[in-house]
Amino acid sequence: MRKLLVVTAREYLERVRTRWFIVATVFGPIIFGLLLFVPPWMASRSKASTNVARIIILDGTGTDLGKRIAVELNGGIMGDTARTEVRQVAPARMAEAESLATRQTIAKETRGYLVVDSSTMAGESVRYAGNNATSTADMRVIRDAVRTEVVAMRLEEAGLSSFQSSSLAGMKLQLNAERITDRGRGASAQVSIFFAFGVAMLLYVSILMYGQAVLRGVIEEKQTRVAEVVVASVSAVKLLGGKVLGVGAVGLTQVLIWIAVGVTLMKVRTQVLGHFGIETTPMFIPGISAGSAVLLVLFFVLGYTFYAALFAMVGATVTNDQDAQQAQIPVVMLLVFSAFALAPVLASPEGKLGYAMGWLPFSSPIIMPLRMSVVSLEPFDIITSLVILVVSCYVVVFLAGRVYRTGLLMYGKRATFREVVRWMRRAG
Amino acid sequence: MTEPAVQIRNVVKRYDGHTAVRGLSLTVPRGAVYGILGPNGAGKTTTIRMVLDIIEPDEGSIEILGAPNTAPGAIDRVGYLPEERGLYRRMQVRRVLRFLAELKGIGRRDADHRIDGWLERLGLRTSDRDWGEAKVDDLSRGMQQKVQFIGALLHDPDMLILDEPFSGLDPINAQMLQDIVMELRRSGKTILFCTHMMDSAERLCDSVCIIARGEKVLDGPVSSVRAEHGGRRVALELADGRANEVAALLADSSLVTRVNEANRVFDIELAPDADAQLLLRRLVESGAGISRFELGQASLHRIFVERVGALNSAEGRESDA
Repeated sequence: MRKLLVVTAREYLERVRTRWFIVATVFGPIIFGLLLFVPPWMASRSKASTNVARIIILDGTGTDLGKRIAVELNGGIMGDTARTEVRQVAPARMAEAESLATRQTIAKETRGYLVVDSSTMAGESVRYAGNNATSTADMRVIRDAVRTEVVAMRLEEAGLSSFQSSSLAGMKLQLNAERITDRGRGASAQVSIFFAFGVAMLLYVSILMYGQAVLRGVIEEKQTRVAEVVVASVSAVKLLGGKVLGVGAVGLTQVLIWIAVGVTLMKVRTQVLGHFGIETTPMFIPGISAGSAVLLVLFFVLGYTFYAALFAMVGATVTNDQDAQQAQIPVVMLLVFSAFALAPVLASPEGKLGYAMGWLPFSSPIIMPLRMSVVSLEPFDIITSLVILVVSCYVVVFLAGRVYRTGLLMYGKRATFREVVRWMRRAG
Repeated sequence: MTEPAVQIRNVVKRYDGHTAVRGLSLTVPRGAVYGILGPNGAGKTTTIRMVLDIIEPDEGSIEILGAPNTAPGAIDRVGYLPEERGLYRRMQVRRVLRFLAELKGIGRRDADHRIDGWLERLGLRTSDRDWGEAKVDDLSRGMQQKVQFIGALLHDPDMLILDEPFSGLDPINAQMLQDIVMELRRSGKTILFCTHMMDSAERLCDSVCIIARGEKVLDGPVSSVRAEHGGRRVALELADGRANEVAALLADSSLVTRVNEANRVFDIELAPDADAQLLLRRLVESGAGISRFELGQASLHRIFVERVGALNSAEGRESDA
């Protein structure tokens, strides 16, 4: 046990001291922070210009539609319509009026002009020309104002009061979907899916990253020939165990730092952005029960152990990085296959595929946390998955130990599949 | 303290398609320098790895310092310098050594104290520079070899196992290792080493075991091996001619079993019961100018070549048949 701890401590301390660890630990949160802060900032940059209302409205409808649009553009009846100039134009003189407005726009006296005519009243089209015509946000504001007023006018024509019609026309329906779990109403469905996908991807990336770190560690010990000195003091199986534990502890450290910084960033996001005058809705951080958290950690630990043992087995059968690249493909494919199943399983978490992939040991560490996050699973489902995974881990670690013990001191050539099977069969 | 340092009994190790070690038994006395000698592929490294419990024998048993080698703590009393040497390249020297010491059960503070002592002794820690703070990668090959020795000796083992210790060493490090081996022997430690370099074995070993194709060919104290297996030898050096007469004399099988000649220097193995004085008399009578006629024992090298060579040629004849 003492020797296992010595090996684990070496693996852990040597890895957290590396530049790679520090860079990855710092850059993970930086990238996450960019994802949290840059999109709202970009969105704020592309918001409608504050002077979108500084335009000329050429009203050829013979109604007060132009004026109403001007009011709507300036924030309603309480707004200041001085910035928007409405010109009543006879349809026959519209071309002349447009020429004048074009010259004014070029001279920067106005941002542009809006032409409302009979086709606008019919709800078909409205024309705008101006130096901000390429701004989708500005165009959306103008289009919404025109649409609101056209609808309101037509409702009024149909007999509704102006108050009723404008409240109907301005009605904005927002769908706020909410997920209901056993514990009651919780996160919104979208947040829940985002969270589930995030957890599954985090597990996928960490298992792949740290599993490969074990592979590289094994190859390093073979290449530098340090393995023989070490196994003369500690059994190969303990060396393997210490390596898997040490690298796993590095992984947990890094992932926990990422999660801690990530959650903190999500919590302070609204305040920080608000400080810069950017308004956002607070992010919902899904609450996880202690039981779920334990299960998530358990799936990570078991999944990592399963794959780390497979990667160590690959490392013991090869002697250089090039061979390792090829030899690890079957193991990586198992992981990638599981990642490909994420979307179909998310679409139907309780479907046959979800059950099957949730029980298969190579995919369950990624698929089960995903399913658990979006639906409430039966305890039987979770327990079966865990039991299969634990038994598989035991078998894989046992076989990896045998392959490792023989392969660690084999130099020169890559072992064939038949040789590896023979190593698995024999004890010594 | 009377148990032998190593007791190997009827050990067999089979690999796919061949047997690396067949029924090997040997006893390494405490406090001795013991050499396992054999050609490449004889099973030396496999034997050593079994002694250190790196691999399990298929049959037989091994004891180290009176306890089964699989017993907890048994191999912690052994220091090992393998033929295939290496260190963690990106690790700091001091941390590598501390790791190796901790694996042998030495506490951190004690390990640091010992590391400083050894680094100073081998010139890796001076008032100008402490190489213990450097990364292994920054050390020259010779310095890395020194760090390897320190790693094997740091826990003050009762027994040191060296596999081809002089291969790849520069002469200065080879001499340094030899001095350390002799010093350890004087302090009562047991040293077991494998080699196919007979001159170093002859210089250092009290006892040897020659193995070939996984089997023991002979073993015992070096002096007995030379007396029993080398036959009586004569070193003859001629000052001048009469080569034909001398050649005819040496062809007499009642006097001589085998002769090797190079530059008028003859290495002669006397026939059993042959009288060396009679050979000398006949040489004088033949008129040959003798500048040296010396009675002695065969070198380990000669015994090794003859015994292992004979086995190989017998094997060749078997496979031809």
